[in-house]
This record gives sequence, C-alpha cells and structure tokens, in this order.
Amino acid sequence: MTDIRQETDYTLFRPILETEKSFYWIVATLLGIIFWAGYMYINQIIYGLGVTGLNNTVSWGFYIINFVFFIGISHAGTLISAILRLSQAEWRRPITRMAEVITAIVLLIGAVHPILDLGRPDRILNVFLFGRLQSPLLWDVTAITTYFTASTIYLYVPLIPDIALLRDKTDKYKWFYQFLSWGYIGTEKQKHILERAMTILMVMVIPIAVSVHTVISFIFSMTIQPGWHSTIFGPYFVVGAIFSGTATLLVVMIAFRKMYHFENYLKEIHFQYLGLLLLIFAILWGYFTFSEFVTGFYGNEPMEMSVILYKFTGPYAVFFWLMVVLNFIIPVVVLGFKRLKTIKGILFTSMGVIVGMWLERLIIVVPSLSNPRLPYDVHFYIPSLTEVSLFMGGIAVFCLGFIIFSKLFPLISIWEIEEGRNEGLEEAQKRLESYLPSVEQVK
Amino acid sequence: MTQKTPKWILFFQYVSLGFIWLLVLGIIVWIINLMKLSNYLHDAQNATIVISLIIIPIFITLAGVLSYVFFGLKRANREEITK
Repeated sequence: MTDIRQETDYTLFRPILETEKSFYWIVATLLGIIFWAGYMYINQIIYGLGVTGLNNTVSWGFYIINFVFFIGISHAGTLISAILRLSQAEWRRPITRMAEVITAIVLLIGAVHPILDLGRPDRILNVFLFGRLQSPLLWDVTAITTYFTASTIYLYVPLIPDIALLRDKTDKYKWFYQFLSWGYIGTEKQKHILERAMTILMVMVIPIAVSVHTVISFIFSMTIQPGWHSTIFGPYFVVGAIFSGTATLLVVMIAFRKMYHFENYLKEIHFQYLGLLLLIFAILWGYFTFSEFVTGFYGNEPMEMSVILYKFTGPYAVFFWLMVVLNFIIPVVVLGFKRLKTIKGILFTSMGVIVGMWLERLIIVVPSLSNPRLPYDVHFYIPSLTEVSLFMGGIAVFCLGFIIFSKLFPLISIWEIEEGRNEGLEEAQKRLESYLPSVEQVK
Repeated sequence: MTQKTPKWILFFQYVSLGFIWLLVLGIIVWIINLMKLSNYLHDAQNATIVISLIIIPIFITLAGVLSYVFFGLKRANREEITK
C-alpha cells in the first residue's frame, strides 16, 4: 500500500484519517444538547402536550413549523445535485456530495417532528394500521418516505467509488468499507453501471423532490383556513424550500471549507454561482410572497383580511417584517452588488435567509390559527422551553450527523474531482463541439 | 486492483440488499391494507388506487436500481478476477 500522504487529493482523505482535539469537544457539546432535548421529550411524554405552548386555538406550533422548515432545507441537496449533474455543470463536482448529505440527514430530522407533535407518539401506528389516503397527512407520509429512500440511494450510489478508494488506500475500518463498496474496483463496466444507475436516479429524484414539498403545502392549502387556502402554496413552498436549502448548503460549504481547509476545492467561483442562485430564488420568493398577499387583499374577504392585517400589524408583525428584510432586502442588496458579494457577505446573507425562512414558516402556521373563525379569543402563541429545546436538539442532530459523516466518508467526491481533472476538459470540448455548428458547417 | 470479498461480508451484503426489498414489500402490504380499508369504508377508493399506482412502481424501481448496481458490480468484479 502506497503512503496515502502522497495522494494528490490527500486533503480530502485527511478529515477521515486525522482527528483534532476540537472534534471531541464539538461532539460532546452536541451530544449534551441532544441528551437535554431527549430529557425534555421524555418530560413531554410523561406530562403530555401541556408542557408546550400549544393550546386549543393554536394547535400547531414549533413542531409543525420545524417540520416544514427542515423538510424544506432537504431540498438543497438532492434536487440541486441532480439538476447540476443532469445539466453537466462542471463546477458541481466539489459540492454535490455535501448537498446530498444535507438532504438525507435533514429529511430524517424533519420526518420525526410530526411524531413530536403527538401527545401520544404510539398513535403514529394508526397511520399504518388505519390510515385513510384521502387525508393530505397520509400523502405526506408516503411522499417523505419515497423522497428519503430515493435520496439515500442517490447519496450512496455515487459514494461507492470513494468507499472503494478508502478500502484500498487506508487501513481504517477496512471491513466497513469492504462491506459498503460492493466489490467496486473501477473497471469500465462498473463505471458504466454506476453512471446508468445515477442517470435513472437523477431523473426520478427531481419530480419526487418537487412533489414532496408540494404535498407538504397541501396539509395547509387543502383546508379552508384563511391564510392557508391558496392555490399558489405548492410552488410557493417549493421555491421557499430550494431557497432555504441553497442557503444551508452555502453555510455548510463555508463552515467545512474553513474547518477542513478545502480552500483549493471550494473556490470563490462556487460561492459566486450558488450566490447567484440564491439571489434568483430571493427574487422569486419575493414575487410569490407578493402574489400570495395581493390575491387575498384584492378578494377582500373579511376573514382573510383579518389574518393578513394580523400578520402586517399584529403581534407577529415584527417577525413578518424581519422575514421580508432577511429573505428579500438583504439578499438583493448583498448578492446584487459585486463589491458586497464576497464569501463573508454570502455567509451573512445565507444565515439570514435560514432565519428568515424559519420565520416564514412561523408566519404561515401560527397567525391563521391565532385568528379563529369561531367566536373564541385571538391567541398569541409563545413556545415553551420544551419546544425550544427540541428545536435545538434537531439542529444538534444535524450538525452531529454531518460531522460523523465527514469522519467516515469524503465530504467532497474524490472520484468526481479526479474524473474532472483527467477527462473533464476533453469531455467539455466534445460537448461544445456537439452543441455548436463547426466553421465548415456554417460556411 | 482486484478484490475478493470475504464470505461473511458477502453474506451481510446480501442481507443489507434484502432490507430494501423488505421495505418495498412493507410498503406494498401497507398500501394494500389502506386500499382494503378504503374499500370497506367506501372512502376515496379512486384516490387510493391512483396513489398506490404511483407509489408502488417508484419503490420497485428504486430497489431495482440498487439491485442492478449490486449484481452488476459483483459480476464485473468476478469477470476481472477470472481474467
């Protein structure tokens, strides 16, 4: 076995082979948060949903907000990765893996949230035993299960060549990599098999990803609740999901670039391109938000208007306007001007977008419920410590999952980088020649 | 570099591949149960049939792709070893 330190892409192997002391501190802190969240959840099981800020009027709060938020973030990965791979965008190579990992982890976290929202979690079994497919809630279960299965397979298949590299070039967890590499040795036939499988998965994953968030919007829009009953909710949710997903991908890329010294792989150009995507989605999000309110405003239905005015001027107005600033004004200003569009600027904007998109979910879920159509009082919902702890727990699980993944597998696809370096130029030239007419053809 | 997988690892690889088919089987059983229930209750039978017609083939295709990769890689590996 040759010394792995001599490898051209040793930087990508290093996080797996070398562990700094800070790693253990980070893991211990994250585990501490997760245990605390676990304790609070056990408390909730014992005492029931009374420990939350939920009440008869506002029966959906933090858990459903976080469910929609986390599922939304999951769109970053597989969807962006599949679109970039299908369009053969060469700059995709160092970012697809991170995007795919985000999807797999966040989807799991999101899927757990409806169970947290149940006072009796054992009743989730009723979905499987006595579910009724006329309910959008059951559509959610099927859509999320499908998306999770598809995106996990889509993460695993392109990972096989890298697992084989780890099996052949390192001594760590040899049996584990041998088990997962499925006998891959890099023959032409094997490469062809993987390529064919990836193409099928890419084509499948895009409509599945779009359908998942559309179906999630249905749990709101299929009701006749003011502020929810809207035909625009499907695409509005998809746009918001890709928007928050791209922002999360950018934050993760910047964090791990710094942590593992990936500066030579994740270059300024990658952030510029993804920053442009973020800007486009900020404008799209702004347009959809405007459309959502202008149609309600034009209709002037009394119940719809009371919810709209409650959002604009009521106790949630501060969150509403902060959402507009974070999701629209800051991205357009920072990403629209070249001087501000630095990596720091993109990080600041992306973090703002993540917070802003969480606030958007809050603004969708709570004000509609706070304004009951029956003669009850208007209710202001304040989350309890249990709900906040479980949210923190969810974020900690995401960070821990990502860090553990980075200790077992390369966060940047090594074989794709090698392939790009060795064959990318020739391939791109061939592709260009196939797109454009040659001088002889034109003459 | 040719690789011969130890038998115990091969066994667990087959078992892990079996899990995806177990999941597909579970989904099919679940959907059939929901169809029976909707038929019994006369409740949205058409929607149930349409959803199952979409879901079941998707899961079979996903498991099929994974199996294709597994057996394809194994066969190519064997061919390389016997060369």
